[in-house]
Amino acid sequence: MLRASTNQGVRNVLFNYGKQADLNAFISRTPAPQDGKAPAEADVQARDPKKALISKHSRLLAVKDNIATANLPTTCGSGILQDHQSPFEATVTERLWHAGASIVGKTNLDEFGMGSHSTNSFFGPVRHDSFDERSVGGSSGGSAVAVAVQQCKVALGTDTGGSVRLPAAYTGVVGFKPSYGLIPRWGVVPYANSLDTVGILSAKVKNLFVLLQNAKGHDPRDPTSITDATWQRIKEGRKRSAIQSGRHGPFNKNIQNLKIGVPIEYNISELDPGIRQAWKNALKLFQEKGCTVVPVSLPNTKHALSAYYVIAPAEAASNLSKYDGVRYGTRSDSSDSAVDVLYSKTRGEGFGDEVKRRILLGSYTLSSEAIDNYFIKAQKVRRLVQRDFDRVFSLPNLLRPSEQFDLSDMDESVELDNKLGPSQVDFIVCPTAPTPPPTLDDISKQTPVDTYMNDVFTVPASLAGLPAISIPFPIPEEHQRPNTPAYAGIQIIGQYSDDHRLLETARLLENLRPGPVKFKISYFPVDSKSQRSPAEEKKKTPLIRKYISTDRKAKLPRKLRSQPRSQQEPDLDLDDAFKSWENLERPK
Amino acid sequence: MARIPASALRRYLLGGELSTRRCLRRNNQIPTRLCSQRIRAVHTSTDTDAADPSGTSNTIPFRKQLKDEAKARKSSVQKRSKSDNQRLDNWELTVGIEIHAQLNTARKLFSAAASTINDEPNTHVALFDVAMPGSQPVFQKETLIPAIRAALALNCKVQKSSRFDRKHYFHWDQPSGYQITQYYQPLAKDGYITLYAHDGIAKEDGDEIKIGIKQVQMEQDTAKTITTVEGEHLLDFNRVGLPLLEIITLPQIHYPQTAAALVRKVQILLNAVDACVLGMQSGGLRADVNVSVRRRDGQGEADNEYSGVKGLGQRTEIKNLSSFKAVEDAIIAERDRQIEVLESGGVIEGETRGWTIGSTETKRLRGKEGEVDYRYMPDPDLGPVIVGDDLLEHLQSTLGVLPDKEISILNETYGLTIKDAMSLVSLNEGGRVEYFRNVVDQLVLLSGDEDLRRLGRLAGNWVLHEMGGLASDAGEEGDALQMTSEGDCVIPDIQLSSLIHYLDSNQITGKTAKKLLPVLFENETKGVMKSVKDMIDEGGLWFIPLSDEQYEEIARSVVEAHPQQVEEVLGGGKKGKGKLNFLLGQMMRRDEEGRMDPQRATKVIEEVIEKSRK
Repeated sequence: MLRASTNQGVRNVLFNYGKQADLNAFISRTPAPQDGKAPAEADVQARDPKKALISKHSRLLAVKDNIATANLPTTCGSGILQDHQSPFEATVTERLWHAGASIVGKTNLDEFGMGSHSTNSFFGPVRHDSFDERSVGGSSGGSAVAVAVQQCKVALGTDTGGSVRLPAAYTGVVGFKPSYGLIPRWGVVPYANSLDTVGILSAKVKNLFVLLQNAKGHDPRDPTSITDATWQRIKEGRKRSAIQSGRHGPFNKNIQNLKIGVPIEYNISELDPGIRQAWKNALKLFQEKGCTVVPVSLPNTKHALSAYYVIAPAEAASNLSKYDGVRYGTRSDSSDSAVDVLYSKTRGEGFGDEVKRRILLGSYTLSSEAIDNYFIKAQKVRRLVQRDFDRVFSLPNLLRPSEQFDLSDMDESVELDNKLGPSQVDFIVCPTAPTPPPTLDDISKQTPVDTYMNDVFTVPASLAGLPAISIPFPIPEEHQRPNTPAYAGIQIIGQYSDDHRLLETARLLENLRPGPVKFKISYFPVDSKSQRSPAEEKKKTPLIRKYISTDRKAKLPRKLRSQPRSQQEPDLDLDDAFKSWENLERPK
Repeated sequence: MARIPASALRRYLLGGELSTRRCLRRNNQIPTRLCSQRIRAVHTSTDTDAADPSGTSNTIPFRKQLKDEAKARKSSVQKRSKSDNQRLDNWELTVGIEIHAQLNTARKLFSAAASTINDEPNTHVALFDVAMPGSQPVFQKETLIPAIRAALALNCKVQKSSRFDRKHYFHWDQPSGYQITQYYQPLAKDGYITLYAHDGIAKEDGDEIKIGIKQVQMEQDTAKTITTVEGEHLLDFNRVGLPLLEIITLPQIHYPQTAAALVRKVQILLNAVDACVLGMQSGGLRADVNVSVRRRDGQGEADNEYSGVKGLGQRTEIKNLSSFKAVEDAIIAERDRQIEVLESGGVIEGETRGWTIGSTETKRLRGKEGEVDYRYMPDPDLGPVIVGDDLLEHLQSTLGVLPDKEISILNETYGLTIKDAMSLVSLNEGGRVEYFRNVVDQLVLLSGDEDLRRLGRLAGNWVLHEMGGLASDAGEEGDALQMTSEGDCVIPDIQLSSLIHYLDSNQITGKTAKKLLPVLFENETKGVMKSVKDMIDEGGLWFIPLSDEQYEEIARSVVEAHPQQVEEVLGGGKKGKGKLNFLLGQMMRRDEEGRMDPQRATKVIEEVIEKSRK
């Protein structure tokens, strides 16, 4: 799968010096000006200083190399575009440039975004800064590493099925995928158009606010970007919903009203114990802050991964048909004669193995004999996954007409909160990835299907187009293992358009997170004080709201509660709850 | 040229035998193609008998046989006139047509690049047109207007919501590796087109026939490939992404002539609603035809279903026909080929075939195994197109008069023949009718006469035939008149109508009028502004009737010059009447300016002859 020489075609990357040179995070770099100033400084001076909206800290911007830039090549990590110079600039980089950002370089990635470990690049794999033998995640691995080792303050990635969140989780940085259509994709080389979103990586959540603010907004050149009129309609709907539920006003005043959902299906047996503990600890912090934590069910999640790996390759196979070497890109010496199969040599030489695999997959699932059983089924599953989320969130999905969920249609595993139906939540909190970053050695032994497993928690939000963020969270000491990061990515998923509150919630968790305020993320120590003894635990959270039975068959007939839950009601005992979920039957 | 079957030759040379029965039969039969000889030799027992030495009783000299065979061949090679070649007794033909027309829009379908026809190559190309990575399509909603107009003209139901799909195949003229078209949810469905006898349908179809339109969809055009002498392919991306309209009929056509009439009628309709850029002959319209045959007696395998029509034979598709003649000829050739294959016990393969103009056979392009699986996928970048009722209503109400209505108006109100009405409607993308109507309007004003039928016939003759003569004299097809689709012409309608009016009111003679038209044409072409009145003044061409004295003088000179004929006239009878006409002709000949009124001349010469009797 890997190219023989990792240095093949690598450009002269100024930032890749010393230890960082080995990380291979960048494919190309903005050259330093002659006057000795830092490139970013010179760049900013060229602009109207009043326009430098972005604080100094977030000026240095790395851009994933599948986002078109007019000054640096845009290779998509592919051999076929190894020398491609885009004639135009992407909307997102143009907007951020106007807001004062300086592009320091283009970061390495899995070819066209296809991969979960940033090992499928024509320019060689990206390497982890602290754990050399481990995956950095993908496909925005270069952007994540560039942030982790502070080669830039913020980085742009693209998230199709977790390509921003997964590397963020593996490298210990924050990775944010906004709602689909919020940041225009004009200039973003598509992998799977219906899933692609521009994502942002940063060391801290706070940097994301100003970036999102400047990057979002309608661009008429992107037909999938949300129009101003639609956004206005959504805004009004949000307002109505907030007033109805009595939680309008600033975020900080409503923390006590915040309801966090724990998707019971995400507590899979493959979940690493350390990560499970980190998840529980994160939930506990929310409880301590006064938020309510309730279990929710997303029954169709189990099909989400398969649906994703049908839809994404199908769109990819279609999108990648344009690379024929005729108008741009590399071209083999063979003739284009119509006698042979057209372009087979050019495409055969230009694409890497994983890309070829997904083109074949996609071509098959779209073929007339297979489309009904694969592509169309997958689209139906996608709709079911979206409905799962819409049912769980208290904020309606304002892109779709409101839907009545018939209780009798509901999966039996869905817990009811009151006679009106299951509890509805503001956000869902779950791990970003089921395990710590796997070793490269393990990956090389895995089948391609096994490597797809890493996306199991990130794919559902992508299919539903929802905003999601991964923030690093410490793994308790007793679960730490040598040569393994001591942090896990905790993912927060929100309803469509709830991006701002999602960032607020992420910032809340970041602030509650144990450890010194200024820790180096990659190595942050675990604050043992945050780990309470089980005895303490019991004392603090009495075991009353135990409505999850261990025996699924005998489990509640839908539990109808006559009274809505009050603030005084005791919190869910997470340890108990998790234990009971682990025993749930799970389809393979 | 004359191919004698080897078996016959061998029999003659080695055995002195001749197969007479074959000769006779061939002469009796409906002419078939050359190779059917061989087919019959395999499949009919009588022919195998012919090889039997016993069949020698009735010997005919070889020379005669050759002659007969050549004769038979000649009659079979000689094309049956097309109108005779529409129906076969044993076989029923079924045809469905897909017509591609270039929509009349200012921009491409998914980019704001201008649509041009013959501009400098690669000067109107947007990033998306060449599939630049990261570029996206933006649907140009203005393209809907001509598309919906066309759909309405074809009586289709315009769908509230339609979508765009990707059709994948590799070719250098297709930059994205797929064409964006409408496969799953087309723009419009379930229409029909009515063809009348005057549209030129086969006589077997009677006075009118309704052909269903399955769907009307929008799609992208491809780039233009220019092949150099050195064999290099140059690509002009000006054309890529231009909006095309694809019209798919149901397989309900059974005669080649009707198929051609349908394509012609679609073109007329598209022009009438201003939906289409160019006519078929200019390459703006292309047709693909699906052809199948089945036995009329229902035998044989015909269990295919196409577009909901059941029990059809296996079809083949003939791509890229670019003229009405090609549509008809290709269908005839393909029909005959399929029948030949089936009659010889063969099987028709579902394949794509091509047709070159002037050939007699379709050519196999690719078979089913070479068929591309287009892997249709909804385009994930493009949302649905929602057509509102208000737009539909507006376009329906501003659709204007469609050609069939126009023809009946021209026929009933303006007194034109159906044939002339058809010609008027089909010329200059509807501009000729506009012009004609303007001329009639002017004539009504000038003459005060309200008889539209009389004025219409008069104007029709001039607008269609006399002006048509001008155009063909100029040698440039249609272009010399510079007739626009709005009805503007190099000869202003007011000029032509005053010319006609002077003629109509006997102020000039027909001869003069015909003489003046080319002068008028030349003046206007050169930009010389001169009224018809001035032209008549200058030439002294006003019609001054001959005085009684002048009539008498001419009559007398004729009588003097032809005493013998005068005698015969006086002799009376049938012969005398003929001679009177001769003398009348002589009179007319002496009037070079055409001022003589035949009736008056007859009266005068009769008087003069009567006088001479005394």
